[in-house]
Amino acid sequence: MSNLNRRQVMTSTVALSFLSTLPRVTFAGGHGDTLRVAIAGETGDLDLLQNVSTLSSYTVVFDGLIHYGPGGTLEPGLATAWSVAEDGKSITFDLREGVTFSDGTPFDAEVAKWNLERWMGVDDFSWIGISDAYEGIEVHSPSQITVNLSRPVPAALLELTIVRPVRFLSPAAAAGQPIGTGPWIVESYSSSETILTRNDAYWGERPAFSRLELKVVPDELARANALRAGELDVIGGDWVAPLSPRRAKALEGAGMTIVAEPGTATTILGYSPKSPMMADEGVREAIFIGIDRAAVAQVLFEGYADPTIDIFPTTVPTAGIRHQVPARDLAAAQAALEGAGWNRNGSGWSKDGQALEIDFLVSEESFPGSRRIAEMIQAMLTEVGFKVNISSVDNATMHERRPNFEYDLTFFATYGAPYDPHGSLGASFVSTVDTGPDGKIYISDELDTVVLAALEASGDAQELAMQGVYDWLHDNVAACPLLVTQRIWAVHPRVQGFSLPATDYDIPYKGLSLG
Amino acid sequence: MRRLFLRRAGLALLLMLAATALTFALVTAAPGNVAALIAERAAGAGADGQMIARIADELGLNDPLPVRYARWLGDALTGDFGISLRTGKPISEEFAERIPVTATLLAGGGILALFYSLSIGLWGAASNGRTTDQLLHGIALVGASTPNFFVAALLVIIFAVGLGWVPSFGLYGWTSWILPCITIALFPGSVLARVVRVNLQEVMARPIATTGFAKGMSRGEVLLREALPNIAIPYITTLGAQFTLMIIGAIVVERVFGLNGIGAFFIEAIRFRDFVGMQAVLTLFVVFFVSVNLLVDLVAMLIDPRLRRARRV
Repeated sequence: MSNLNRRQVMTSTVALSFLSTLPRVTFAGGHGDTLRVAIAGETGDLDLLQNVSTLSSYTVVFDGLIHYGPGGTLEPGLATAWSVAEDGKSITFDLREGVTFSDGTPFDAEVAKWNLERWMGVDDFSWIGISDAYEGIEVHSPSQITVNLSRPVPAALLELTIVRPVRFLSPAAAAGQPIGTGPWIVESYSSSETILTRNDAYWGERPAFSRLELKVVPDELARANALRAGELDVIGGDWVAPLSPRRAKALEGAGMTIVAEPGTATTILGYSPKSPMMADEGVREAIFIGIDRAAVAQVLFEGYADPTIDIFPTTVPTAGIRHQVPARDLAAAQAALEGAGWNRNGSGWSKDGQALEIDFLVSEESFPGSRRIAEMIQAMLTEVGFKVNISSVDNATMHERRPNFEYDLTFFATYGAPYDPHGSLGASFVSTVDTGPDGKIYISDELDTVVLAALEASGDAQELAMQGVYDWLHDNVAACPLLVTQRIWAVHPRVQGFSLPATDYDIPYKGLSLG
Repeated sequence: MRRLFLRRAGLALLLMLAATALTFALVTAAPGNVAALIAERAAGAGADGQMIARIADELGLNDPLPVRYARWLGDALTGDFGISLRTGKPISEEFAERIPVTATLLAGGGILALFYSLSIGLWGAASNGRTTDQLLHGIALVGASTPNFFVAALLVIIFAVGLGWVPSFGLYGWTSWILPCITIALFPGSVLARVVRVNLQEVMARPIATTGFAKGMSRGEVLLREALPNIAIPYITTLGAQFTLMIIGAIVVERVFGLNGIGAFFIEAIRFRDFVGMQAVLTLFVVFFVSVNLLVDLVAMLIDPRLRRARRV
């Protein structure tokens, strides 16, 4: 066996150089009529009554009576028109005629009634207002039904736009068979992918391509690489296959198209209503103005986030009047502490012998990226004079500590479209609603009254009542909104006409053409 | 030999039982509430305290730990590992779909590691102390020191994204196995290559090698005919240990390459606190570890009669 000599080294180098000039094997080949979208988790059997399958996958198969449009507009789905009675206790729907499920079963009033009764008035779905207040359904004709309620539910129409369980399944479908009236039909599903074919009998605008493949790729880097390699066409969406701002920037540099739009969910710092420290409004105020939201948005989100101090962004209906985001004001933050009776104590503060020290509960698993945001906020608040202890915990611990208010400060996010504003207000700001592990952003008896009044208000009074909630939260510095993260998607250059769907629970396919 | 085998198999069974009991206790002690997860699956945001308490009662989650373990063990022995809290499917169905993926990955990686280690080790020993030997030593060292997620990313960037020769994720024919198998084989292959090289060096210094040379054998012939059989025991023992450790590598490799095997299922089970899934996979790991080690022990005893005698004493 001889040593490597110069000739052998040169030969190897030339051989490797030659290999690199070989043509690319295009694994994207043969996919001219197929859109391949990454999903982070398998779709499952799309059972509408179980909370197992990924939410985003339902929307391509099942229709609802009403669909959620951009900015929260209500668009006709399987109902072409609807009217709410003056007393708010009944809603009449004109059903779309000539619609069939993909198994050939016609959609009519009896089928609609059968579907609605699967969840309306059922205990497990009492968290949906219209289900909780359900009294009965009247069938007037094959194309008209009325849903009767025991009390007005102002958010009823919006609730009918959510994904699960409100969408419509063929009554002839066997257990575990996802058969809807939507634009796509499930051909097969496994833990690796779900294959869908176009429903040529779809009542709405039919997709321009005949096949949709939802590929399960749990790892974000793997998704990004597959997009670059041409093996995927679309990745992104918080509820589909999340794409981080940093990865989006890298993909943009690699020639992929990045589409980002203002999001519908707000990241909020919650002050524990059970923490003696946080009961001090001066402390809350100091935190509120001691944080540089713009810096967090720019540095940690690469600009793919918008600073805010409002509970909901304008992409959500009745989000209220806008407040200008204040610049970080160190002196004002310290003045707030002084005003609340805190005294300078070296580099920190103290009051009645107690140091200004807070417990910041963070779970990277529950909220990816939160650890870095927490560290940045920790640095900012340290400059104000706080001692901030970050408790980094796993998801399960977060789920135990958050509902028990075992923290001073922690992260929350509003639900986003199509659930807001009613969803987050009811779940996160009302003490009497049991939301299990999600916890509460802020609760108090006074706030309960204000929020419940807003949730029950309808018509013109609704906007005013909602504003009342926002004003209360703002005036009492009850929560600390930080950012609205943008909805980020990355698209392969072969995909043309990409636009974001109304919510991140939707798979994008409308208006797309494939090169 | 038969008695010895039965004794070893009995010990292995006891070990499996103890390990499953320990993992059951650990999984149960982990933070999180199974009943809350099941309630959340059934009712989403509608899951409340009353519903959670009802489910806990129905599932016997309030029973003492030994009672729960006995119940779980009884079901597991009949192949019933329960329903995955994350996917809602029976674990047996998940296993049926995923075990072939992981088994192929481990088999491919194992074979690759075997050939790689023997080639590098033998080549190094053949070119004793020269540049090639040092180069191969360096390669094995780099292979044994590089984390597999980094290797995976590098391979994907070069061969899938850059050159487009193989898919970057999923299973689309035999080419899909190339990068995952290389990734998973690199670390054990490199460790084994060092075992081969070091042990060959030691054997080559023994009189047996000198005798071979005296008989007129070339260095290559002495290595293959005289030295190689003499390193079989340390090689097989290390191969067994490395092969079992490959399943840990599979957890990372499957995720990075989008392969839906047992490793990917385990990671998702941990993320979603799917206690039922976690316990089932841990049990599978225990069975795999103990079985491979038992097999290695038996093979070693078959090869080397001295070991049989030593165990009898």
